[in-house]
Amino acid sequence: MAMSMVEILFWFLTSLSIFSALMVVFSKNPVHSVLWLIMVFFSISGHYILLNAQFLAIVNMIVYAGAIMVLFLFVIMLMNLNTENEQSKSKWLQLAAALSGGSMMLILVAALKGNVAKATAMFTQDSGIGLIKNLGNVLFTDYVVPFEISSVLFLSAMVGAVILGKKEAA
Amino acid sequence: MNAIIISALLGVLMMYMGFVTKKTRNYTMVAVIGLLALLASIWLDYVGFPFFQIDTKGMLGFNSFGLTFDLVVVASCLIYFLLSGAEIETFGKSSSDFYALIFFILTGMFIISGMKSLLILFIGIEIVSIPLYILAGSEKSNLKSNEAALKYFLLGSFSTGLMLMGIAFIYGDSGTFYLEGINIGFGALSSMMAIGLVLILAAMSFKVSAAPFHFWTPDVYDGTPTVFTSFMATIVKSAGFFAFFKLFENAFGSFHKHWELLISFIAVLTLLIGNITAVFQQSLKRLLSYSSIAQAGFMILGVYALNIYAKQGLILYFAVYSMATIGIFAVLAKFKDHSIEAFNGFAKRHPMVSAAMLICILSLAGIPLTGGFFAKYYMLLAVIKYAKVVWLAIVAVLCAAISVYYYFRVIQAMYFKDAETYEEVEFSKGFKYMMIINAVLLILLGIHPDWLFSLVSN
Repeated sequence: MAMSMVEILFWFLTSLSIFSALMVVFSKNPVHSVLWLIMVFFSISGHYILLNAQFLAIVNMIVYAGAIMVLFLFVIMLMNLNTENEQSKSKWLQLAAALSGGSMMLILVAALKGNVAKATAMFTQDSGIGLIKNLGNVLFTDYVVPFEISSVLFLSAMVGAVILGKKEAA
Repeated sequence: MNAIIISALLGVLMMYMGFVTKKTRNYTMVAVIGLLALLASIWLDYVGFPFFQIDTKGMLGFNSFGLTFDLVVVASCLIYFLLSGAEIETFGKSSSDFYALIFFILTGMFIISGMKSLLILFIGIEIVSIPLYILAGSEKSNLKSNEAALKYFLLGSFSTGLMLMGIAFIYGDSGTFYLEGINIGFGALSSMMAIGLVLILAAMSFKVSAAPFHFWTPDVYDGTPTVFTSFMATIVKSAGFFAFFKLFENAFGSFHKHWELLISFIAVLTLLIGNITAVFQQSLKRLLSYSSIAQAGFMILGVYALNIYAKQGLILYFAVYSMATIGIFAVLAKFKDHSIEAFNGFAKRHPMVSAAMLICILSLAGIPLTGGFFAKYYMLLAVIKYAKVVWLAIVAVLCAAISVYYYFRVIQAMYFKDAETYEEVEFSKGFKYMMIINAVLLILLGIHPDWLFSLVSN
């Protein structure tokens, strides 16, 4: 069976993102985990491009893979966490986590099995849909109210950061 | 719309109050005046005078249910500021910032009260949650407060992640964020929609601390400074339930038969765990946090029933539960020792305050003549009217009977026990009068719940 270019890319990116995500969890060294996480973000950005969301892909790379991950690395290095010691968790806790996570995955896979048709519909759409021009157009016409409202969210987060960062009044 | 814009502006105003005046008393005064203005603006909106005409593309819309909820929220917040303002002021210069955060939280609640789209629901819930993480950690030198903030933040973000995933599945299935658009399913539930529904159900249950997603509640409520626990356990929880109800009514109403069993299990589990665990608590603060779980179990019955009795009952429940719990917390916040023994002989020392507190406790327990009785009654009525499911009502009544035991332990300590050594607490005149007014309002709502009901139905 011949695979189209998109399909080859899709399978490559999917296996890459799943593998890197697993490596994030299994790496003993936190710095390695962060580096693998950057890999996850890049492969997910690739998925965005496949889904015609070019702007989202770029933003995801700049903000997550760029800014936030650098912050993560700094924090890990500053707090000197890059030693390979992991706190031992109880066996029962690990078992419970594996069970609940596994059953969640089972249900998700079972439910999504029949929904292939919807996924393929995305590939055949107009390729300009995710360009910044169209996105901006929608954001400032249809979604302008949620866009403006989210400013309250950022303002409150900012006030909170100032409160937490401020020296305690004597 | 009035309320959203004005409360956001009030939040900004409170942010700058720190520059204008250094007297902390002024902060509370400005906040109270702001709330009164807010109350007036919501009332104007209710009778048909909105100040702002904004095209929201159908994402926000206010009906009598939403506006009545706004009125209840602002009124209970007013009582909260008047009773607990003195405690917020103890945070000194930064107390104006805390008022700002509370106004932002109120903005989030007003957004939730008008939501017609999942996008708005998400933004609203985030605006409510993020300032709360900061309020939980506001006592920076206290390790327990830090722990509460971190726990709340991590678990809260996780539950928000679950909700986002649920929203993504629902969007993937229905292709719309609009609640009405989702509701057009003709009663058939596709597998993607079912997953989305369950994920959102889990996230919302977390936000309202329903079992089995309640584990964060006692630790977070216990660690948070008492004055902010009071706000979290009452007004914020009401907002969570409002979102819960509105979402499940407007978006998932046509799938009611599919999820009613699930939610009845959550209700029973919440009632049992909340009430039975509360029996064993020695600290009043922890007792109140378990009692808040137990009361959440009753409010979930409203989400289960999803009819007009549930709507009216929930509004009454929000009002009386908030008022009663705020009253008890306001007294508790004055104490350093939060154990029940601290209240031994309290009635002899402060007869007026303890009488008012007695009424608050009776209302929580659901004793007739207080508002709590009708609130619980309407929840049960809603369940019976919905499906004649008697077993659910029986469990609820049994749990209410258990709750009487632990609420009366506090009354017993106040009235029937003597203390040789006790903590001397001071109550100002204004505080005493406010407690009495609060108690009188509770009794009035117990005699005339129809005042609130009439606001919802027309």
